Amino acid sequence: MRFGNRLVLDNVHLSVRMGEFLCVVGPSGCGKTTLLRLFAGLISATSGELFAMDRPIVGPSRERAIVFQDYGRSLLPWRSVWANVALAYETLGMARAERRERAFALLARMGLAEVGEYYPGQLSGGMQQRVQIARALAQEPRVLLMDEPFGALDAMTRQTLQDEIARLASERQITTVFITHDLEEAIYLGDHVVALASNPGRVIETMEVDLARPRDQLGTREAPPFLKHRHRLFQLLLPGMQQHE
Amino acid sequence: MRARRWATRIGALLFAVAVLGLWQGLADARLLSPVFFPSPLRTWAALRAMAIRGDLWGPAGATCLRMFYGWAAASLLGVLVGASIARSAAARIYLQPLLEFLRPLPASAIIPPAILFLGLTNRMVVTVIAFGAIWPVLLGSYHGFRSVDPRLGEVAALLRIKAAPYLWKVALPSALPDIFAGVRVSLAIALILAIVAEMQAAQSGLGLNILMAQRSFRSPELYAGIVVLGILGLITNQVLLAAECYLLRWRTLIR
Amino acid sequence: MNSAISASRGALVPILLVALWELGERAGVLPPDTLSSPAAILSAGAEALRDGSLLWGTIETFETALGGLAIGTLIGVALGAPLGLSPVMEAIVGPTLDAIRPVPSMALLPLALLIYGFGARMEIMVVTFACTWPVLIVTVSAVRAIDRRLLEVARALEMPPLLSMFRITLPAALARIGVGVRVAAGIALVVAVTTEIVLNPRGLGYDMIVAAQSMRPDLMWADLVWLGLVGLLFDLCLRWIERAWLSRYAAGPA
Repeated sequence: MRFGNRLVLDNVHLSVRMGEFLCVVGPSGCGKTTLLRLFAGLISATSGELFAMDRPIVGPSRERAIVFQDYGRSLLPWRSVWANVALAYETLGMARAERRERAFALLARMGLAEVGEYYPGQLSGGMQQRVQIARALAQEPRVLLMDEPFGALDAMTRQTLQDEIARLASERQITTVFITHDLEEAIYLGDHVVALASNPGRVIETMEVDLARPRDQLGTREAPPFLKHRHRLFQLLLPGMQQHE
Repeated sequence: MRARRWATRIGALLFAVAVLGLWQGLADARLLSPVFFPSPLRTWAALRAMAIRGDLWGPAGATCLRMFYGWAAASLLGVLVGASIARSAAARIYLQPLLEFLRPLPASAIIPPAILFLGLTNRMVVTVIAFGAIWPVLLGSYHGFRSVDPRLGEVAALLRIKAAPYLWKVALPSALPDIFAGVRVSLAIALILAIVAEMQAAQSGLGLNILMAQRSFRSPELYAGIVVLGILGLITNQVLLAAECYLLRWRTLIR
Repeated sequence: MNSAISASRGALVPILLVALWELGERAGVLPPDTLSSPAAILSAGAEALRDGSLLWGTIETFETALGGLAIGTLIGVALGAPLGLSPVMEAIVGPTLDAIRPVPSMALLPLALLIYGFGARMEIMVVTFACTWPVLIVTVSAVRAIDRRLLEVARALEMPPLLSMFRITLPAALARIGVGVRVAAGIALVVAVTTEIVLNPRGLGYDMIVAAQSMRPDLMWADLVWLGLVGLLFDLCLRWIERAWLSRYAAGPA
């Protein structure tokens, strides 16, 4: 995949199984975001092919929802929280009452029902990001693409949301591709972890994470397999990451 | 410190009263020319007389109506044209120099051609107002539509929102603050052009009122007319601000 | 290379319009007494340049515009500085000023006419009123934003208030005041021309309205184009001056 003269992604072969949680890690500038945008259909590959569920990816589709890191820019600030979520229903020609009802139902399942009438600007960062996730889920996607969604949040909020997204993904059986530069987050959340190097972005290794589910922040992070995976990932990526500091 | 706030409010009121009192005193003592600077009391008397006689409401209504029609037409056109130019790269390239030339031109410069085309008529006044008031809205709309966050465009693409709903649901609300800024300036210009064009075309209205007052040296009526125009300017601006506060209420609520 | 292409594309539309206009005139399609042909406009403009009326009109208009700008700036700064320095004064005097501000500057035309009759002085009066407000507002906010420490230095040196205002307050606020003056300058030109169009028998505005009313559309359009060019040039000069001013006075921490 090239941008102008720059080779951003080279020789990347990836396949994601339906229903699995795939994490992609790598240093900044390794092309993780580009990869995700290719999956979403927002950009086209300069060489190579992309398929989703056996159909080629030619553009954006409701089947693939994306959650951006900058929640402030992704939510419509002039609409209330429920109206933001209901945006996904508006293209379906649903009546307003039904849209509102379904939006609130979804918000309730995510514990956001009390803030339904607020404006995004009135909420904390963590809550805004959850609203964005709610909107993505409202699309009823088959695939959820997440671009460093918790990167702008504080550590405690991040942990809460990690557990929440793990729960949502398994409850709804949604295939998730999750990008992060936090190695431990990737191991904690993923069924598989793909490590990318940078300049140009290429796959170093695909790791299988053999940790039992459901996972918890305390126990799982201290389990021996976790530490083993962590060790491996650090070995693979830390030199590359340190280069970029 | 609520006591302090009240103290300053009273102080402000006293100051205003003192200024008026000083003016009145100077006028009574004949230190100010009664022709050029009639006392506040005489101005007030003239205002009341005009209101009672009915000389006030008719012209005020006429001015307001013209101002409103011209401004509404200008705002609508301005938003549409501004949005079109913002969305079309071709339009930008081809029209940019022309717009850059027209922008510094005083809005009142439209009056002589308007007189040529439409004569000294009511239609001329409204046309002048519309043409003059369109620029701030056009520029505001252009800027607003250009600055729509591309991220929102991506979100809309992913939700498969079509072009028309996108413009209405995403682009327009996003551009609204800039449009409103332009609309407010536009209203001020509309008022000025209304006054000026009325004077030019001798059309019944507040502008003509004060011109006639000047011609017959009736300065209390002249001052009264100026006061009314000031009030009109204030009211229209406040109404617009209130509308803006309501439509853009999400801005005030940010943490 | 790119800018040359877009420049030529940008010139395309006006050139096309002018060409169509000329053709329409020749074909007799367009009314001759309102839209005269570009060729006639050009010759009328050349004539007006030759006999000096365009230049004379320009000088007259700029005389009053710049004169009113100067006086308005002085008043705006003189009023704005103390108001910016003393929040108490601003709270007391402010509302009265706020009551006067909504009066449209053009509403003062008949008053100025009453006091001064036709001529330069009435125009300067109206321009002054219009220019005072932007300068006043900018001065108040600029003075208010001055670093407290600078003012404390003045007090520590026991400077009398007037001297401290000249030596410390004003230079510190000069950058932002400069921007306000630039806005006021634009307003000055517009107000001057408008006054001439409506009432005052001098300057470019008056030339235009006379041309219109004596059925000389070619001269009127020529004056209009000239006004546009002059306005554009003036605007460019203002931007250039503003940049030079800001680079001098806005350097360093605000």
